Formats: sequence, structure tokens, C-alpha cells
Amino acid sequence: MTTFRRMLFALLAVCALVLTACASNSASTSSSDSDSSTASETPGTGGSAIGFLYVGPKDDYGYNQAAAQGAAELGEAFPDYEILEAESVPETAEVEQKAEQMISQGAKIIFTTSYGYKDYALNLAEKHPDVVFLQQGNTLEGDIPNNIGTYFGNVYEPVYLAGIAAGKATTSNKLGYVAAFPIPQTLLNINAFELGAQSVNPDAETYTVFTSAWCDPGKQSQAAESLLNQGVDVLTQHQDCTSTITQAAEKAGASVVGYHADASELAPEGWLTGSEWDWGPLYIDMVTTIDAEEFAGGKYNGNYRVGYKKTADDAVDAPLVQSAFGPSVTDETKTEIAAAKEEISTTGSPFAGPVYDQDGNVVIEDGVIPEYSELESMDYLVQGVVGEIPAS
Amino acid sequence: MTVTTTTEPAAPSAAPESPVPVREASPSRAARMARSVGRWVLAYLGALALFGLLAWLKGVNPFEMYMEMWSSTFTSRSAIGEVLLKGAPFILAALAVAVPARAGLVNIGGEGQVVMGTVGAAGAALALESRLAPWAMILVMVLAAAGAGALWAGIAAGLRLKTGINEAISTLLLNYIALDVVLFLIYDRWKDASGFGQPASRPLLSSSRLPLIFDAGRLNIGIFIAIGSALAVWAVLRYTSWGFKLKVAGGNAEAARRAGLSVGALVLSAMLVGGALAGIAGMVHFAGVEGQLRSGITFTFGYVGFLASWLARHDPLKIIGAGLLLGAISVAGDSLQIDAGLPAATVNILMALVLFAVLAAGRRTQGARS
Amino acid sequence: MIVAASTAAGSNLLVVAVLIAGVTAGTSILFAALGETISERAGIINVGTEGCMLCGALGAYAAASATGNPWFGVLAGALAGGLLALVHAYMVLNRGANQLASGLALFFMGLGLTSLFGAPYVSKQVDTFSKVAIPGLSKIPAIGDIFFNQDPLTYLSFVTAPAVWFLLFRTRWGLMLRGAGERGEVLRAYGHSTVKVRYAAVVSGGMLAGIGGAQLALVVALAWFENMVQGRGFIAVALVIFAAWDPIKAMGGAWLFGAALALGPELQVRNAGVNQFLLDALPYVITLVVLIVLARKRLESAPEALADVFEGSRVVSSP
Repeated sequence: MTTFRRMLFALLAVCALVLTACASNSASTSSSDSDSSTASETPGTGGSAIGFLYVGPKDDYGYNQAAAQGAAELGEAFPDYEILEAESVPETAEVEQKAEQMISQGAKIIFTTSYGYKDYALNLAEKHPDVVFLQQGNTLEGDIPNNIGTYFGNVYEPVYLAGIAAGKATTSNKLGYVAAFPIPQTLLNINAFELGAQSVNPDAETYTVFTSAWCDPGKQSQAAESLLNQGVDVLTQHQDCTSTITQAAEKAGASVVGYHADASELAPEGWLTGSEWDWGPLYIDMVTTIDAEEFAGGKYNGNYRVGYKKTADDAVDAPLVQSAFGPSVTDETKTEIAAAKEEISTTGSPFAGPVYDQDGNVVIEDGVIPEYSELESMDYLVQGVVGEIPAS
Repeated sequence: MTVTTTTEPAAPSAAPESPVPVREASPSRAARMARSVGRWVLAYLGALALFGLLAWLKGVNPFEMYMEMWSSTFTSRSAIGEVLLKGAPFILAALAVAVPARAGLVNIGGEGQVVMGTVGAAGAALALESRLAPWAMILVMVLAAAGAGALWAGIAAGLRLKTGINEAISTLLLNYIALDVVLFLIYDRWKDASGFGQPASRPLLSSSRLPLIFDAGRLNIGIFIAIGSALAVWAVLRYTSWGFKLKVAGGNAEAARRAGLSVGALVLSAMLVGGALAGIAGMVHFAGVEGQLRSGITFTFGYVGFLASWLARHDPLKIIGAGLLLGAISVAGDSLQIDAGLPAATVNILMALVLFAVLAAGRRTQGARS
Repeated sequence: MIVAASTAAGSNLLVVAVLIAGVTAGTSILFAALGETISERAGIINVGTEGCMLCGALGAYAAASATGNPWFGVLAGALAGGLLALVHAYMVLNRGANQLASGLALFFMGLGLTSLFGAPYVSKQVDTFSKVAIPGLSKIPAIGDIFFNQDPLTYLSFVTAPAVWFLLFRTRWGLMLRGAGERGEVLRAYGHSTVKVRYAAVVSGGMLAGIGGAQLALVVALAWFENMVQGRGFIAVALVIFAAWDPIKAMGGAWLFGAALALGPELQVRNAGVNQFLLDALPYVITLVVLIVLARKRLESAPEALADVFEGSRVVSSP
């Protein structure tokens, strides 16, 4: 009898919940009507807030911190907008849930700042025609709705330049790269780094360790140790949190090339240079464009890419910066880097052919300057990289 | 006797409205009920107060925080839908703990079994999606997920029976191995060829996904699968001889053995059923929400399920409520960071406090000595 | 050691490199496992060791940054780990909560608390520990590099393990503690309180786990990051059983696990061509395999009170 009553209670509770869901379903049809009435206006306008979703903690001294820094600059530039932030949002359907909550709080512009958010951003864009979704990284194909766009910078360009500094600095001709997972963005950086080093030092090799985690300092430390024991004398990384490896290199007396953040204070001796994001100006320009009702059909309503090569269409500089040089970088190296930057900014590319893969096959033909979109699904390591990626 | 023996967690009598006092008492029954309810309310309020204090230490106004958490979780259709959506795999993962617990087993491996469930479902879809009708595909995915989850739990059960390794330890280790299985597959064999090199399996066809309950929103029939499973588990444990034998074996294995029960078979079957339920939890999330196998899609589901099962004292019916409660807390947790600006992981404190409150409040109802 | 040697393909260097890294990587796990050994010897299992390690890591990092002295960090780490374990002790010993449930809640608690209070420390820089070669001993080929060219906390672990063993098996306090884990009623008959002994055991367990977290923050990571322990605390709990509740064997277990962790990067830099994710699974597979091989012996040495936690353990312990 009691058990039966308990079961009844449980059932009633669930029914109540489902009913509430149904009831507020019908109630909210009217509100979604009002949504669509604003949708007939320009997407992204009329909101009171701007949402940001980050894939990791926003103070990771890395990728997410860079995006959060951009969000803070955006907030200062647009004091009328409230900045709503959700961190550590996995690349799963959580994205939609968090975004929905931001929308219900008045956000009409949402930045989805991780590569793997794209599919969710697309779903959301379809569901909310009045909200603009700005997807950091990744590529949209086919007909692109008028309320979504992707944007990214060719971060491998400063990584290539840093590779030059590394190639010049090494005496053992062994460079070390600690990466997380063999995804195309990571492979692009590793390859650019090695090609940059090769351009000034044909004997330079890049030893690669994958840690299978974006931020596991224990594994990072082990990877750094293993690389240093192999005689590597320049370390760099593609990780979300970066201070462990930077300090490990400094302690071992090796040089270090940074990523995501200027960590020169952690390695006053060994710091060479690095690559950082500077999202603020681009974020501000995108929101300005949306506010001016010029988003739909504009350059941001597609796959916007910007690197050192700037066209008249690019309102702001590339969202990537080469970090300041450390004390050991010679003037000769700086001049070579400046020359390489000039070339990339005009006619060149870090991946100007010929480029060979690890087996010596030509992957980019001689004389070819590949488009960004061609590089985006990179699935090989170039000649000179020591490391193994799963066959695909 | 030692203090630990005073906890008899698997016993349903740990429930506040325990059947024993209800049956025996007439005069003081109301008073006792009131006391019991009062204690539970106090426990929950205590948890909320402590959490509010922590938030206040971080410069957040606790009253505003709770108002926002409430309004963002229970006042809109989509938010309630999210609670049900999140609650479904929690309920199933909790059942995966509750069934083995009935036989006296500790299944900490829900996490890995849920992951293997997603692997099973994804594997079935990759192999058969083009050849089966949508309804058949969904059915096959459920079976494959249940099979994969049961296999993973079965390893632990087998190790226990063959070598005596405690399932709490082996399932913990198997959790980590399951994650590597997923990574291996999505970076290798199962990587979507047209996915720009990203580590994910080919997306499910929309026809193979769990049907939505409403046209709008994301709420799918997974919640019905979860509640249906809870009712089924309740009925099986209560009305079948298997359920009765599990309880006997869980209560006193030696007595069960003397009574002629095959305790080994019971251990194995309880773990297999638990693993299958966890696997279905993975399938519900994979086919209902994600549609693609990626790393981390069911992160902490198994552990949250463990909490839910303990919140409900392993009672399948109460697990429905506990799963939804934890679903609600995790949805409300979004407001913690979006509105109050606290770190995302803060919600874990609230979950822990609620469980602590329930564990602490549940004690005297068992008549435990101090 | 066996594992490293068999995959070494004759390269002596790999074995040494793996062992050097393995000792460093295993130390945080070793501290936590020693703490858990004390706790479980008294009959209380703490699955929330991971949470204690997280609190220890943050406490250590915060204190080191406030005082500029990493040793204060270690102290604070121990305190933080012990404080969190105190919650577990209270729940289990005073409120009669189930140990496994309370332990898992403790993990969620530690994860949430450290994330809530840890954010300001992510970008802080502190003085950390460096390797200190022990004169003479560090010159011994291979052995010197593996054991005597390490950091102070690793040396501390060399001392702590035998100290815990001595405490447990050669002192009156250890006798009482083991008594609490085996036959509480006997202890009570002699007029001692099992509850007090168990409180002490659980809290010291948490403190050692906290020192493990401190080692991770101040020796390995040189930083604080949210959730940085990444499962090492759970492994420590598994290792206690692996080591049959013996502090000395726990050393071997922790170093074996550490070496298995270190094998991945060492093989990668040697371009061994093994799939990264198979290497990742190796430490867990090795632990499981060793458990299987040693299973029978291990169970017999389990503290009796633990059987009540793993309620069904009776199912197998009688043949």
C-alpha cells in the first residue's frame, strides 16, 4: 500500500512537470510570436545583452582567456550591452542549452568561441532567426542563413614566424611541440612551426608529443621532460593552459615559444616569442556591423578569415599578434622574421608549395599558395616533424 | 559492531516514509511524519543556506542568486524541457547503480558503461543506418547500447567472480579505459570522412534520432524511456523471484547460499542489467541529443547517476525524482555562471551539499545508534 | 619495471627515462595512496581522495603565493586536504552516511570549492620546488638519476612511506588504528573509542592526499588550474587495494603507475609509432592486470570493516 502510494507520488510529480512543460509550451507560443515579429527586423538588433560561450575556464592563461579578454573589451566599447558568459561549456548539446538561456535573458548576439560549437550554433541560428551567432573557427557550407557567420584568424602565420625564431635559436636542431589532440588546427600549427624553422635551418626537426588533454598539467610536465631529455632545446605547445610547459622549459634552461598568451614573465631568460590572440577589435567591429544592420549579406555573414594579408575589405587588423621578443633573439633573426611577415602579408603563405609530408610525398605542389579553406582539414604532418598521428 | 555496519544503505527502509513506522503506529503517526518531513526540509534548507554563504563570500547576493536560479529553471517551457532532457540519462544511470546495489554490489562504473552505451549505439548506427527502417534502427541502437554497457559491467562482474577483485575498483579503472576506447574510435576508424578532419563520428540521420515530444524544443522521448525503465525495474525487483533473490543475496550472501541460491549468477545478472541500463542512458543521450559520437559527450553522467541513486536510497521510483532533481540543479547551475558570474564547476558544490544533507538526514530513520 | 623493460626493445635509456619520470609522476599518487591506506586500515574508505588532492593543490599554491615559501604551501595543502576529509569523517562517523556515497559527494565538493576559490590563482606565479641532487648517491648510474636527483617532496615521500608502515605496524597507535579497522568491539572493550581513532585516520589520510596535491601543484605543474588532478586521486584509491593496504607496496604501485603514465610521451618522442590513445589506456590496463594477477592474496589482507562497505564482499571471500 505504502509502496503504491509512493509510486503514485512519483508519477504525479512527473506528470506535474510534464504538464507544466506543456502548459508553458502553449503560453510561450505567444512569446515566440513576438519573437518572430522582432525577427522581421534585422537579426541581432534590439537585444540588451551579448552572450559568450567558452570551452574551458575563462582564466586559463590561454585560448579562453584570450576570448574573454576580447569580450571584456567589447563590454567596455558597448556599455549598454550586458556581457553574459558561460565557461567550460563542452562541445556537446550543452551549447544549445546555455545559449537558450542567454537568449531568454535578452541576448541577440552570441559568440560561440570554440571550433566544435559550429553544429550547435547552426541549429540555434535556424531556431532563432532574430539572433546573430558568431562562430569562432570552423567553416559553414552551402546556403548560409543570414544570422550566422564564422570568423577566425590564420594563427599559424605568427606560429610560422615563431618557428623561424626557434630554428635560429636551436643548437641541437631539435625542437619540441606539446600538443593535445591531432586535430587539423593543431596539425596546422605544428607544420607551420616546423616549416618556419626549416626556412632558416634545414636541419631543424620538430619532436611532437600529444597529451590527449587540453589542460592536464601533469601530462604536460611529463611531455616537456621527455622532450628535453631527447635534447630538445626549444619548446612550444598547443594547449589551453600554458604556464606549466613555459616554466618547465625555463627551469631546464631551454628556450620557449609561447602560445595564446604572453608568458615572457614566466621565462625571462628563455622566452623567444610567441603567438597570441587579440580579439577585441574584431569583436567590436562585428558588433558595430550588426548594430548598423549591415550584418546580413556582409563579410561577417559567411566564413570570414583574416591573417597578415589584409584586403580593403578588412576593417581591422588580424586578431593575432606576435608576442614580444625575448632577450636572446638576435637582430638578424628579427630581420628575417620581419621579411617573412612581409612576404606572408603580400603574396606568400607559410604553406607555399612545395610542401612534403612525413613520407616525402608532395602534399602542396610547387608554386601553389593554398587557400585557407584548403588547409582547414589538414590531416598530415610535414617532413621534419617527428611524431605519429592516427591514420584516418 | 562497528559504526559502519549501522548503515544499511541498500535497504529501502532507509526511506523517510519508511513502511515500518507507518504500519505500526496510529497515535504518534502524524507527529512522526511531521518530524520526518521537518528534518528533510531542514536538511535541504541547510544545504541551500551553506551554498548561499559560499556565494556570498564570493560577493554574490544569495537571494538574487536563488531567485535567478529558480526563474531560469522552472518558469519557462524550454527550461523545464531541459530539466527533463537532462534528467533522463541521470535516471537511467542511477538505475544502473540501484540494481547491483540490491544484490549488495557497488557499481561506480556507470560512467564507463554510459560511454560504452554511446559507442554501442554509434557503432550500430554506422553499420546499419542505411539498411534499417527508422524505428528498427532506434530499437537496434537501444539493444546495442544495452549490450555494450552490459559487456563493460560484465567484465567487472566476471573479475569479481573469477578473481575476487572488488567491482568498485575494477569499474573505476574501466571508466578510464572506456574514454580511451572512444578517443581511439573517433580519431581512427569512426572518424567522419566529411567532417573536416574533426574527431567525431558521422552524424545520425534525423530519422534515426529519438522523436521529439513537442515540435519545438529539444525534449525527446528519452524521458519516457527513463521513466518506463524505472517503473519496470521497480516492478521486476518487487514482483519477480529474481528481484527477491537479489535482495536475499544482498542482505546475507551466506544465508542465500545455504538456501540454495546461486549467488554468482545473481551477482553477474545484477551487474549485467545495471550495465545495460547505463548503456541505454548513453544511447538516450547519443540518439536524443548529440547525434554524433565525440569525446566527453556524457561527461560525469555516471557519477551523477551514482549520486542520484544514493539520494533515492536505491529506490527505483524515487530515482525518478532524484534524477530530475539533479537535472534541475544542473540546469539551475547555468544561471550560477551566466547571472551570478561564478565558475561553472560551482554547481558541483550544490550537488554535493544536497547529497550530504540527505545522507545526514536519513540516518535516524534507520534507527542507527550514535 | 617489467613493463618498461619489455617495451624498451633493448634500449636501456628508455627504461631509465621512464623510471625517472615515473617516480616524479607517481609521487602525488603515492602520497594520496599512503593517506588512503591509513584511512582504510581504520575501516573508512574515502573515494573523495581526488577532492582532497584538489584542495591540497589549491591550498598549497595559494599559501606558497602568499608567503613566498613552498614549504608553507605544503603545510597549507595538508591542512586543506585534512579539512575536506573532516567533512567525510563527520558524515560517516557521526551521521552514519554510507562511505562510498559520502566520498563521491566529497569529490564533487572539492572540485566545486577549488574552482570557486581558485580562479584568482591561475595566473599567479609562485616559488616552487626544484630538483636537488643528493651528493654521492646521485652519482650512482641509473639509480642515482631515478631516486636521488629528485625534488624535496619526492624525497619526503621516500621517508613517509616507511614512516606510515612503522606507524601502522610497530606503534601502539597503529595497533589501535588497525584494531578500529578489524575488530572495533575489541578496541571498545579496552575502553578506547573507535570513532576518535577513525577521525584521526581519515583526517591524516586527507592531509597526506593534500600533500600529494601540493606536490602536483608545486613540483609538477608549477601552476594551479581547475580540476588539475585529473583522476589521480581515484587511481590512488585503486592502488591501495593493489598494494594490499601496505605502505611499502604502495610505493611500488604508485611508481609502476607513474612509469606507465610516463611511457606514453617517452615512446612518442622516440617515434615508436604506437597509437596515442592505446598508450593513454596503458596505466589503467596495467593496474587492472596486476590486480588480477595478485587478486587472491590481496583480498585476504583487507581490513575487515571494509567488507561492510563493499557489502557484498562476503559473497566472494568465502569459497
